[in-house]
Amino acid sequence: MSWQELLLELTLMPLLAFVIGLAMVLMMRRIAAQIQRRVGPPLLQPIYDIVKLYSKQTQISHGFIHELGIMMAVGGYIAAEALLPVPGMDGLADKGGLITLIYFLMVPTLGMALGVGQCANPNGSIGISRALTAMLAYDIPFVIVVFGVAFHYQTTNLAEIAAIQQAHGVSGWGMMEMPLLALAALFALQGMMGKQPFEVYIAPAEIATGPMVEMSGKFMGGLFVMQSFQYYTAGVLYTILFLGGGENWLTFLPKIFAVVAIPMTIAMLFPRFRTEDLVRLMWKWPVMAGLLGLAFVMN
Amino acid sequence: MTPLDHLLLLSALTAVFTLAAGNIRSAGWIATLLYAAQGLALVKMWGMGYGPEVADSSISFQLLGQTMHWRFDSLSWFFALITVGAGFFSSWFASGGWADHYRAQGNSLRLFHSALALNVFSMLVLLASGDLLSLFIGWELVSWASFLIMGLASTRAMGYAMRYLTYAIAGAMAILMGIVMVHAQTGSFEFAALAAAVPGMSNGTLWLLLLLFGGGFGVKMALVPVHLWQAKAYAETPGPGAAFLGAISSRMGLFALILVIIQLVGIGRLVGMSIPYTFLDARDLLAWVAVFTMIFPTYIALRQHDARRLLAWHGVGQTGYMLLGVVIMDDLGSAGGLMHVFNYATYQAMLFMSVSAIMYRTGTADLNQLGGLVTRMPLTFIAMLVGIIGLAGLPPMNGFVSKWLIYRSLVAEGMPLLFVGAVIGTLGTILSVYKLIHNSFLGQLRLEHAKVEEAPWSMTLPMLSLAAIVFLTGYFPGVVLDWISALQASVGLPVLAHHLGGVHFAQGGLDMIWINSLLIAGIAIGALIFYSTGRSQRVHQLDNYAGGHFLSADVRYQYSDNFYPGLLHLIGPWYRKSFRWAESALVSLTDALSLAMQGLYRQVQPSIYLLITVVIALSWVNIR
Repeated sequence: MSWQELLLELTLMPLLAFVIGLAMVLMMRRIAAQIQRRVGPPLLQPIYDIVKLYSKQTQISHGFIHELGIMMAVGGYIAAEALLPVPGMDGLADKGGLITLIYFLMVPTLGMALGVGQCANPNGSIGISRALTAMLAYDIPFVIVVFGVAFHYQTTNLAEIAAIQQAHGVSGWGMMEMPLLALAALFALQGMMGKQPFEVYIAPAEIATGPMVEMSGKFMGGLFVMQSFQYYTAGVLYTILFLGGGENWLTFLPKIFAVVAIPMTIAMLFPRFRTEDLVRLMWKWPVMAGLLGLAFVMN
Repeated sequence: MTPLDHLLLLSALTAVFTLAAGNIRSAGWIATLLYAAQGLALVKMWGMGYGPEVADSSISFQLLGQTMHWRFDSLSWFFALITVGAGFFSSWFASGGWADHYRAQGNSLRLFHSALALNVFSMLVLLASGDLLSLFIGWELVSWASFLIMGLASTRAMGYAMRYLTYAIAGAMAILMGIVMVHAQTGSFEFAALAAAVPGMSNGTLWLLLLLFGGGFGVKMALVPVHLWQAKAYAETPGPGAAFLGAISSRMGLFALILVIIQLVGIGRLVGMSIPYTFLDARDLLAWVAVFTMIFPTYIALRQHDARRLLAWHGVGQTGYMLLGVVIMDDLGSAGGLMHVFNYATYQAMLFMSVSAIMYRTGTADLNQLGGLVTRMPLTFIAMLVGIIGLAGLPPMNGFVSKWLIYRSLVAEGMPLLFVGAVIGTLGTILSVYKLIHNSFLGQLRLEHAKVEEAPWSMTLPMLSLAAIVFLTGYFPGVVLDWISALQASVGLPVLAHHLGGVHFAQGGLDMIWINSLLIAGIAIGALIFYSTGRSQRVHQLDNYAGGHFLSADVRYQYSDNFYPGLLHLIGPWYRKSFRWAESALVSLTDALSLAMQGLYRQVQPSIYLLITVVIALSWVNIR
């Protein structure tokens, strides 16, 4: 591949991720509205939101680390998108595979945590403490899944994982070959995306939206952009691991939208879990499903 | 004189100099230069870092028909490089403002500097050992030197140092028994003789040897269940001393373990030694010890609120990654474990230094008494930030590369539970290091720290140099992997094929040059977006959402104590202190035994002796 092509891919991949991520945010709001029998926001609402947030008059900064945190949160995801192969574009998938990606995705989280810490607001810090605890909870089933998939396909290269599945048709999809792992991953996904019942780290009425309590204007806008990237990343990663990745955009887009629609649909059915209940739940059912799935994969 | 003689001589000279003139004002600087000279002597032996070269020392002794000699190979060179580097940076840190402060508190600088120099010297002697006898002598030297530096600070520190000494002597006795056993089997103390005799030994003999040597070396590495001595002893050591001990001291155990168990016994035998009634073999046993060493100490660290103890407990935990990597024994895993020795030394020294800098300026390392220092000590903050990213093993720092290698090899070898265990350790580390940086540098600045200044250059420069090393060896891991592949070749492990940026691996490699450039580019774009939109306005830290209340400087608006209540509510009851209980049970048992023995020989009733003699005589007759 010539460097011009690579540069084009590296530019296109985050841009596409951003646009698709915004569409996912819109879809989630529409689903929530449907369930609650509301009309829901118009088509361009996510874009209005971003324009509004970035052009606010009041932009409160609590110091350089607060700003750096937002840059890391947005920039970390922009970089991570280049590691996620999509139809027609592999980006840098061969320079760092699945394990690298998992660790890469912790950089924006760490950035946000640092930024919130600098705000000197206990509500924010409590939110981060809960978010990190939740990460400890859902990452354990998730790494079991990661190990199972990497071992099953004998590679950590995401582009290859997708290619192997595509070579065998639908019956070769990870979901068909490793249903228990796919189930465990879905559980972890719910936590990873911070959807109900696992959103105690935001808890608006209790800790005033936690990490977001001191975020105004473009700081909030940065977190909004980060969230849309996060939805996109979760959808694409799950699709690559279990739904055969994408041969072309026509089949790829429905898959990734369906993946992020599932947590949203489930979210509305549950109340909020306390942190310790969240951890207990995550360490019990998805871990058991994951270990059982792993046992099938390993022999 | 050979290059190795130069190195050992320079090191001995450093020790003599600090002992003679450690109290003069510039002693620290001169010692630092002497460490730099030792570094140059190591550079003169550059060939060992990149090839199978071996350097002998011209010193040797004849003792009871056995020759004791010293030599350096790639394994020794790699560990010596870290030792001298850690000595250099610690001594640099301890030279300027810290030294004045330390002396003003009524401590003896001469004791500190000479203890540090003796540590470096004894470690170099251990690393140079050419046979089992010189290994044992080096081992004892290292143990006593560590004791010297640990016991400097306070009465409490002396108590922890004594506890260390008890463990160390027990470990040394196990090693001595192992050496005697080898001598009984082979009639020689030479490494080659042991290696030659291993194929002929029965599994039972080898198990005994493995337990004796592994147990003895494991005490120094603070492997579970003999890990209790380390954290408190290191935490109470004066700042730069803790940086040095934390960086390299315990690695001597790993060095000896690699030398005796990996190089001389070899992987083939370890896999062949199965544990009856289980599916495990000797290698699995070591791997599981490593994983428990990762998990337990890391989650103990999570509960600490003294920054030094928190770091020291992580030090115990990180040992597990090194051992795990090494005992996987394939090219990726062993390279990861060995690279972790280097990486860990760089960021652990830096982290201890940053905590020392905080203590130097604020007088406390209590995480509930700090906060908001980033605005006052930005350079120290950078050091700690780089350090925690390294310790947590996230890109772009070097800690990520070594952990990636270990994870990748666990996937390749199909060891899922060890993999999950290692990740549990890493996640715990992330939680705990965030608490460290949040409670010290982020959040609300306390009123009494409002005028605190940045640490002096003599302290920030060594920290920032280490930060640069952590970042650059993360960017170009090939620099360190070059040394490691020479090391792998010399101890008989499979050699890792690598390049400057990482490893090519058909099933998913790693290229850190690309990964880090990508991350930096991403964050640069993030910064561009951030700064090209609306102007933000800096506000005072008390201009904050407080639910309708007004904050004033006397309001403590910082979340610090019991940082993870939800998690600890769940796992809190799992902390059973079982190891501490077992330790005290052992102590009580020894106490009771010694009392019984005392009762025997202090007994004034001669009739008791008569009775005992009769009973023994009668039973002897009966047996006959």
